[in-house]
Amino acid sequence: MDWQTLRDVVLQFVAITVAFTVVLLIVAYTVLAERRVLGLIQGRLGPNRVGFGGSLQPFADLLKFILKEDIVPDKSTRFVYFLAPVIATMAALMTMIVYPFGPEVNLPFLQRTTQLVIARFDVALLYVLGVTSVGVYGIALAGWSSNNKYSLMGGLRSSAQMISYELSLGLALIGVILQSGTLDLYRIVELQSRWHGCGWFILWLQPLGFFIYLMSAIAETNRVPFDLPEAETELVAGFHTEYSAMKFALFFLAEYINMFTVSMLATTLFLGGWNVPFAEDLFGRGTLLFALVSVIGFLVKICFFLFLYIWLRGTLPRFRFDQLMNFGWKFLLPLALVNIFITATLIFLNVL
Amino acid sequence: MLALLFILFAGIAIGSAIAVVAQRNPLYSAISLIGVFISLACLYVMLAAPFLAAVQVIVYAGAIMVLVVFVIMLLNVEQEERRTRLSFLVPAAVGLAALLIAEVTFILYWVQVSPVTPAGNVSDTGLTASIGTGLFTTYLLPFEITSILLLMAIVGAMTLARRTAELPPGARVVPGAQVLALNIIDPTVPLDDTTAIEAHTTVEVAKILGIPDDHDPARRD
Amino acid sequence: MTPELSWYLAVSAVLFTIGVAGVVIKRNVIAMFMCIELMLNAVNLTFVAFASFFQDVTGQLFVFIVMTVAAAEAAVGLGIIIAIFRNRETLDVDEASILKL
Repeated sequence: MDWQTLRDVVLQFVAITVAFTVVLLIVAYTVLAERRVLGLIQGRLGPNRVGFGGSLQPFADLLKFILKEDIVPDKSTRFVYFLAPVIATMAALMTMIVYPFGPEVNLPFLQRTTQLVIARFDVALLYVLGVTSVGVYGIALAGWSSNNKYSLMGGLRSSAQMISYELSLGLALIGVILQSGTLDLYRIVELQSRWHGCGWFILWLQPLGFFIYLMSAIAETNRVPFDLPEAETELVAGFHTEYSAMKFALFFLAEYINMFTVSMLATTLFLGGWNVPFAEDLFGRGTLLFALVSVIGFLVKICFFLFLYIWLRGTLPRFRFDQLMNFGWKFLLPLALVNIFITATLIFLNVL
Repeated sequence: MLALLFILFAGIAIGSAIAVVAQRNPLYSAISLIGVFISLACLYVMLAAPFLAAVQVIVYAGAIMVLVVFVIMLLNVEQEERRTRLSFLVPAAVGLAALLIAEVTFILYWVQVSPVTPAGNVSDTGLTASIGTGLFTTYLLPFEITSILLLMAIVGAMTLARRTAELPPGARVVPGAQVLALNIIDPTVPLDDTTAIEAHTTVEVAKILGIPDDHDPARRD
Repeated sequence: MTPELSWYLAVSAVLFTIGVAGVVIKRNVIAMFMCIELMLNAVNLTFVAFASFFQDVTGQLFVFIVMTVAAAEAAVGLGIIIAIFRNRETLDVDEASILKL
């Protein structure tokens, strides 16, 4: 192994560590933002004591989770009980590496051109789908290993919901794949930079696909209005009833990281990724300023989606489980198939 | 470097496979099998087949094993007991396994020349485009037959899992009809093995029970 | 040292043998089914290894078909297992080996 590959491998590790830290910070502040925005929607203030305006609240929560007593149910299967939150969090974090968060930038001090993505490979979109499929195990195994029939029911319901909506999620993405002709996320974002950065897929090409994707994504991440399996007024707390302290914090974290991941995927595929309209004309291709503006634009779009999630949580009631499954199988799945059909027809007729 | 990665993934695959067979709890076997699938997916990536690696994780680890784990959880499968009858065969099995490993090592030691060295990740054999081209031009017939096979599997699975039309006696629920708990509406009805009432509208229900119904359009007050 | 074709074939042979041993040893129907899947995966590895070393995409296409067939078999097989469990209340093949319920 020569120094070149060693340096590349070390750089990858550094990039992954930086991405991991950034994601954890953003997710921690998403939790805080959710509590404040929900408070504003519900006519009260959220947590605003710790730090200026509540900005140190996530760290206080983290300290609480670390110091809480760790209760393990007596007759649970120990190995699976400890494995389940690890699987959930790992699957949530592993999708982070394929999203491009900026254009190609010429670093002047290093004399090289680097693409702002951690791992660029050909089947990136399938990789994301695969890793989210593996994330179902965290929930199913958590429900089973708690040795609690309410947890089991909640875990089975939650995983049945997740695998049902994975189908319409995948099918909604096929419209985008047909459109761009590639599974490579970097290339998909590049293709959306036509027309001075306004060629976002949602606007011109895939409004129906975006709608289906959004519904499926909200159901995938078990958020309101699809959060019956884990709502506190339903089956106790669903699959994470018997989890306390740090393991519960891992599940909580996994849910918010999933939210973040899904928002990133929606931004990348439908909202143009790092494309800010007219930014390329203003700043020039490959400059550091253009890259900075693009990264900030990317983060703004992700924050818009996170705000949408929080807004939905504060506004809508939740579906009953049979209504949820009906919606997934009898409405979203045929609609996704219709979307593929329409997209394929329009491409065939050279309209798109 | 590649050899190290190969030894790592192959070792995890073989270790997990032995765990699948050796574990007595079927849930642990299922988890070990997921480990086998994921390490095989990593081996496929090393063999310049990234599309197949992703499809392996999505289909095998993400769909088939979820189905198996669901079935294990729903049927509440217990651990197997250790068999005592044929336990003298275990040393024989270990001996034969050692023989297999010896044969494999012998072959690996003597046959060290492979026909073509792989081009690693630079080749475009395993990319999505070439698989798509192959599936839709040369091998279109197997592709279409596979889709019919999947349709047959869906119909077969639904038929097998369907409840039979005959209800056992004493049933109080007829699927698709109004569910009535007779003795809640009329507490004087004795709880015996009467068959369920099948009715489709509230008007019919009211007629059967003999109570006035507010939704009946024929009844205008 | 790069991995040779024979290394991949050796791993595949070992996995296949472990699968066969599992089908013979295990008494739980679901565990037997899982060992059958292990055998299918061993064969998949052989196909992909040959496809890679001979630069031919046909091997990978066949793996695609095998995966689809395995998925179909899993659905129907687990349906059969559930039907057996409903009728016999046991998942042990030794106890369910006679035709009489």
